[in-house]
Amino acid sequence: MKYLFKILWEDTSRIHLLWAFIGTLAGFVLLLNGLQFYTNIKSILQANSDLLDPEYIVINKKVGIGQTLGFKGNGFSEEEIDEIANQPFAEQVAPFITNLFPVSAYTQSERFPNFYTDLFFEAIPNEFIDVKSENWKWEKGQDYIPIIMPREYLNLYNFGFAQSQSLPQIPKEVIGMVNFKIRLRGQNERPDYPGRIVGFSNRINSILVPHDFLEWANEKFGYKKEYAPSRVVLVTNDPTDPAIMQFIENKGYETIKERLKSSRLNIILKFIISFLVTIAMIIIGLAFLVFFLGLQLMISRSAEKIRKMDKMGFHYREISIPYILILLALLAGVTVLALISTGLLSNTFARMAAEWNLDINNSPEPLIYITAAGLVLLLFLVNAIAILLSTRKLTSH
Amino acid sequence: MNIALEKLIPLPMIELDTTGSVIWEAESFLFRQAESYLVEAPSGKGKTSLLSILYGLRTDYRGKFFFDNQPADSFSPRDWSETRKNAISFIFQGLELFGDLTARENIRLKNSITHHKTEAEINNMADRLEIGPFLDRKTRILSFGQKQRVAIIRALCQPFRFLLADECFSHIDRKNSHTAFYLIDEQCKKKGAGFILTTLNNMENLKLDHSINL
Repeated sequence: MKYLFKILWEDTSRIHLLWAFIGTLAGFVLLLNGLQFYTNIKSILQANSDLLDPEYIVINKKVGIGQTLGFKGNGFSEEEIDEIANQPFAEQVAPFITNLFPVSAYTQSERFPNFYTDLFFEAIPNEFIDVKSENWKWEKGQDYIPIIMPREYLNLYNFGFAQSQSLPQIPKEVIGMVNFKIRLRGQNERPDYPGRIVGFSNRINSILVPHDFLEWANEKFGYKKEYAPSRVVLVTNDPTDPAIMQFIENKGYETIKERLKSSRLNIILKFIISFLVTIAMIIIGLAFLVFFLGLQLMISRSAEKIRKMDKMGFHYREISIPYILILLALLAGVTVLALISTGLLSNTFARMAAEWNLDINNSPEPLIYITAAGLVLLLFLVNAIAILLSTRKLTSH
Repeated sequence: MNIALEKLIPLPMIELDTTGSVIWEAESFLFRQAESYLVEAPSGKGKTSLLSILYGLRTDYRGKFFFDNQPADSFSPRDWSETRKNAISFIFQGLELFGDLTARENIRLKNSITHHKTEAEINNMADRLEIGPFLDRKTRILSFGQKQRVAIIRALCQPFRFLLADECFSHIDRKNSHTAFYLIDEQCKKKGAGFILTTLNNMENLKLDHSINL
C-alpha cells in the first residue's frame, strides 16, 4: 500500500485538491452556520411569541362598503369555519356567538354618576378565555351575570375617559365591586340582573359573558334573526408559522397583525436563510465539481501506472484505495474544520446575543451534525463510486 | 495447471500467412505445467500476442483457451487479478517498471501482494544477476539490460504455475542471460511450474524442454 500510494501521489494535482478543499470548506461553513443561525433565531422568535400569547388568534372578515350598506353579510358560514378548522396550523376553532336581543347596562350608585348604555355580548367556550375566575360560570337561577371586559377598555377608561372627565380611576381589583345592572330586553320580558366584572382579558377584544348564559338567554329572550358569527377564534401551536398569515391574507380575513409579527419575521428569516443555503449549495456544488474533476484528473494522469499495476495483478479496487484514502482525508478535514468554525461562530453569536439580552443556545444543533454527516456521506459516495468506475475502466479487459 | 489452446488465433493474425506455425495452425495445443517452452519466431508472428492473450491482457482473438478445464473467457476482473497474483507471472517485453521508484521498491511492490520472497532472497537474486549495487537507484536511470534483470526478479516474487517471459534476455549479455535463465529454471523447477520464453533468435545455449516455431 505504501508503494501504491507513493506511485499514485506523484501524479496528484495538489493545487486542484487544495482548491477543492477550500471551496468545499467554504460551502460547508456557510451552510452549517446558516442552519445554526436559523435554529437560533427561530428559538428566540418562539420564546418571545409565548410572551405575546398569540396562539389564540381572533379572525374576522374585512369590513367593506358592502357591509355598511347591508348588501352582504359579514359572518363566517359553516363551510368557511370548517375550512379554517381544516388548516394544518389550526388546533381548534370556535365561532363567537352573540346576543339576539338588545342588552343595556346602567348604574345606580351614589359614588358614580348615573350611567346608561346599550351593550352587546359575545361568548366563546371557556377554554379559549385567558381569565380564570371562580365567579366565571352560569347556572340557571344565578343572581348575577359574570362579564369579562378587554383590558384595553379599562385602560381607556382609567387613562382617557376618567382623567378627562375628572372621574375617579378604578383599579381592576375594585372593579368587581362596581354595581351595575344588566337589562335583557326580550320581547315579552325585560329582566334586570346585577352584572359583575370578573376579569379583564388580554386575548379577546370583546365583552364576554359565559357561553352557557348566552345560549340560555338567546333561547329565552332572543327574537332577532340568527347571524352568522362575525368572528372566530383560532388556536394554533405555532404562531410563527407563516402559513397562518398567508391563509388569512389569501382569504381576505383580518386579524391583529401585531400578534403575528413574529410570523412575518419568520418569513423574512426563512427567505434570507434559504438564500444563504442556496448560495452555500452552489458553492458546495462547484467545490464538488473541482473535487470530482481533481480526483478524476489524478486518475487519468496515472492511467499508465494504473495499467501497469493491473498487469502486476492488482485488482482495480486495490488500486482505488489510495484515491479513496485521499478523498477520506480531505472530507474529514473539511468536516472537522467546518464544525469547529461553526462552533466558534455560533459562540460569538451567542455572546453578542447575550449582550442584547437574548438567550440563545450556543451549542451546535443536532440538525447541524445531521446535515454535515449527510453531505459528507453524499460527497464520499459519489466520488468513491466515480473512482472505482474510472479505475475499473482503465483496467478492463 | 495446464494451458490448453483450441484453434486460438489473434484477430490481426487471421489475415496473415501463418503456414508452418505450430500454434496458430493447430486444432489444439497444450502447454503442460512443469515443462518449459521456447517459442521462436521473427518479429510480427504473434509472440507477444500469444503471451498477452494467455495473461488476459488482450481479448481480440478467435478460439478458446483453458486453464486446466476452466475457459479463460469466463474470467472476471477478480479472477484475472487472482490469476496474476498466484498462478501466472509475466516478464513483459516493455518491462512495465515504475521509473520513479527504485529497483528495490519496484520489486517490493510486487512482493507486497503475496510476500512471497524475503528481503534476503531478493538481495540474493539481485547479487546473482549482478544488479545488487543498483537496487536502490531510481529505475528510470538504469540501463535497459539492468531493468530487464529487475523485471525478472520482480516476476519471481510471486507464486506461479506458469512463467511467461517475453524476450526477457534481449539486452542482457550472454553470461548474465545464462545466470538469469538458470535462476528462472531453478525457481520453476522448485515450484513445478511451466515456463514459456519467446525469443527472436535461436538460443541453443539454453536448455528448454520444447522448442516451437510460431
